[in-house]
Amino acid sequence: MGEPAIAVRGLRKSFGAKEAVAGIDLDIAAGSLAGLVGPNGAGKTTSLSMMTGLLRPDAGQVRVDGLDMWADPAAAKAIIGVVPAEARLFERLSGAELLEYSARLRGLPAGEARSRAGQLLDVLDLTADAKRLVADYSTGMRKKAALGCALIHNPSVLFLDEPLEGVDPVSADVIRRLLTHFVGSGSTVLFSSHVMELVEQVCDHVSIIDKGQIVATGPTDQVRGGKTLQQAFIDLVGSKAGDGEGLSWLGSSSS
Amino acid sequence: MARLLVQLKLRLLTNALRSSRAAKVGFVVSTIFAALVAIGTFVVLAALRGQSASVDQTAAVFTVFAFGWLILPLLVFGLDGTLDPATLAMYPLRTRPLAIGLLAASATGAWPLANLLGLLGVLVGLARGGLGMVVALLAVLLQVLFCITLARFVTTGLAGLLRSRRGKDLAAFLVIPIFALYEAFAQVVPRMAAEGKITAATFAGIDKWLRWLPPGLAAHAIQDASTGRAGTALLLLGLLAAVIVVLGGLWFRSLGRALVTVDTSTQSSALRGAPLPFARAGIRGTVAGRYLIYQRREPGSIVRWCIIAVVMLASSVSTIRTPAYHVALILSAILGAGMLSTFHANSIGITGPGFGLEATALTGLRSLRGYFTGHNFALASIAVPLLVAVSFGLAAFAGHPADGFWVVAVDFGGLGAGLAISSVCTVTLAYPAEKRVGSPIPGAASGAGGQAFAAAICSIAGVALATVPVILAAQFTHSVAAAVRLPVLLLCAAGYGIALAWMGTRIAARTADQRLPELYQIAARSKL
Repeated sequence: MGEPAIAVRGLRKSFGAKEAVAGIDLDIAAGSLAGLVGPNGAGKTTSLSMMTGLLRPDAGQVRVDGLDMWADPAAAKAIIGVVPAEARLFERLSGAELLEYSARLRGLPAGEARSRAGQLLDVLDLTADAKRLVADYSTGMRKKAALGCALIHNPSVLFLDEPLEGVDPVSADVIRRLLTHFVGSGSTVLFSSHVMELVEQVCDHVSIIDKGQIVATGPTDQVRGGKTLQQAFIDLVGSKAGDGEGLSWLGSSSS
Repeated sequence: MARLLVQLKLRLLTNALRSSRAAKVGFVVSTIFAALVAIGTFVVLAALRGQSASVDQTAAVFTVFAFGWLILPLLVFGLDGTLDPATLAMYPLRTRPLAIGLLAASATGAWPLANLLGLLGVLVGLARGGLGMVVALLAVLLQVLFCITLARFVTTGLAGLLRSRRGKDLAAFLVIPIFALYEAFAQVVPRMAAEGKITAATFAGIDKWLRWLPPGLAAHAIQDASTGRAGTALLLLGLLAAVIVVLGGLWFRSLGRALVTVDTSTQSSALRGAPLPFARAGIRGTVAGRYLIYQRREPGSIVRWCIIAVVMLASSVSTIRTPAYHVALILSAILGAGMLSTFHANSIGITGPGFGLEATALTGLRSLRGYFTGHNFALASIAVPLLVAVSFGLAAFAGHPADGFWVVAVDFGGLGAGLAISSVCTVTLAYPAEKRVGSPIPGAASGAGGQAFAAAICSIAGVALATVPVILAAQFTHSVAAAVRLPVLLLCAAGYGIALAWMGTRIAARTADQRLPELYQIAARSKL
């Protein structure tokens, strides 16, 4: 195996006394569709932000296709695409303007930027809404527009934070097919998600993060260990939910 | 239901008080302001006693309060959870008790109380005799009820629109006339009053048409009752009550509809399919294009430009027609560029989480220089014509149109300094911005007031300082022939301004290159 597309070593980040990411190591092979799963507050978004050059780590190293993200951020950022958790975009641009703007910021010629924007809007099923303001988009449309912005310069590695959160099944299917196509061409995807079924279904590699540490990582089948990913996840992270004792009134027909 | 909704309103008020120090300060300031308005209104109305135009002025005051009740709920829609019927639509509530409850909730709080107490000044100023007092009391109660019903009718009728992006955009523009009115009252009215151009007699006859509006009916009912015309007074009160009943009925129907109607007003906004402007001019053109679009499409940006124009005009109004008009022209130019710098001294924070798209794409000094230069191009393309137009307009109004040329030179120097300072401040004093209900312009998030204040001080003081050489050059070359002096002055000032702006982008780009992740984290915390 050659150098991994994403190589993380000893990545750490604290916010005051709270250690959000406690020294994680991660290797994602080129051409992988990898999932990063964990409970709320486990450190997924913090880790992805540090991997994409948007949050300075306290310690550690991130290499993307061999380029050190924090030693040479300009070179590393040029080959990645990022879809943040909250797809907060430029609300007062239309979908078409947004994609074109993203492409031009990445240095694509104006004609090429327009052309690619049109093609991506078509694939993302946004052509009919291309001239509407992003402010008027639904959550699913925003996620798709954000994905278009992240893909328009044809990155070799794509990072997505909760790409399917609040997305309807049709839009989710569009995003899923696009990611599968992207990976099929040899590119790499790392995304965080709460949806275990999705990760189990599409990811060939999965990492489970809890309390800022990677508690399991490897090929999906290996991490599952013969169980469903949901069960493996709960076994590793531990279930904290009660069974509803004390709510004797709930579910009865009496008030 | 009324009790429950009043409790809800009180709980919302106390919870807002607990949410942050800024909210606490805001609540205390608002309450003090309400008390001052109550006392001020009472004193003003009471002072009308014995004056010939007392009923005219009372009608004017009543109308101003009704106008306030009409406008302000539109601005603070969302601040008061009881204003939006959609928040209560999921509960099994009948419309009639809900309407009564919402009215009671509207009457709860410092401002409705201030309204009631302030207007009671008519008991001293306009009312005479026992009947006059009783009618005055009834008239004030009906006037307050009219105001509340009017506010409810308008907010309920427009609730669907106000929840939408487009409605919020439209409501944002209400700030412009309110700010202009405030500036007029703060700057123009005191001066005109001092010059004797506004006196109590100015209001005489104003109620020729005001008297037929509901607030005018209330004022005239008091006047009539106090002068022995009991029948007319009761007729006017009855007419006012009828208006309230009709308005209440309309609101009642509107409320019933609002509970089962969804908002669809944002579904039809399509733009023309033109390409991104200036996208062929590299990163600086691309960023300039995006920033220009925002100056046009974002209500907050339009409001900022209008405020700059209003401040430039209002700051000079007291001295522009005097021999000291030079001071007014210079002050106006400095404040114009200073306000521009203040408003854009946190452009990354104001961009918000969307800055992530730029932060992941902007790599290296060259692209960051292009980014800040693009911002400056966009701002200058609006600021130059605006400042030039206002400066020439003021010079012409002063009776010295030729003086507009050297003031424009001051504009150029100030503008360059303003752009430089805003670029540097946006990377050194960046802070998360937060959009608050009732204000179209995002303010500093809780705990970031210090940076906002520092940026404002740097902007105004920096622009003032940077214009000194231009002002001195204009002053010391006064004896040179205008045909030579003015073109040279304008060219030199423009070059000076461009040099300052260029230096600002260099410093800002270098600083941003060192702390782009930190700037993104600040922008990501903005709530817009």
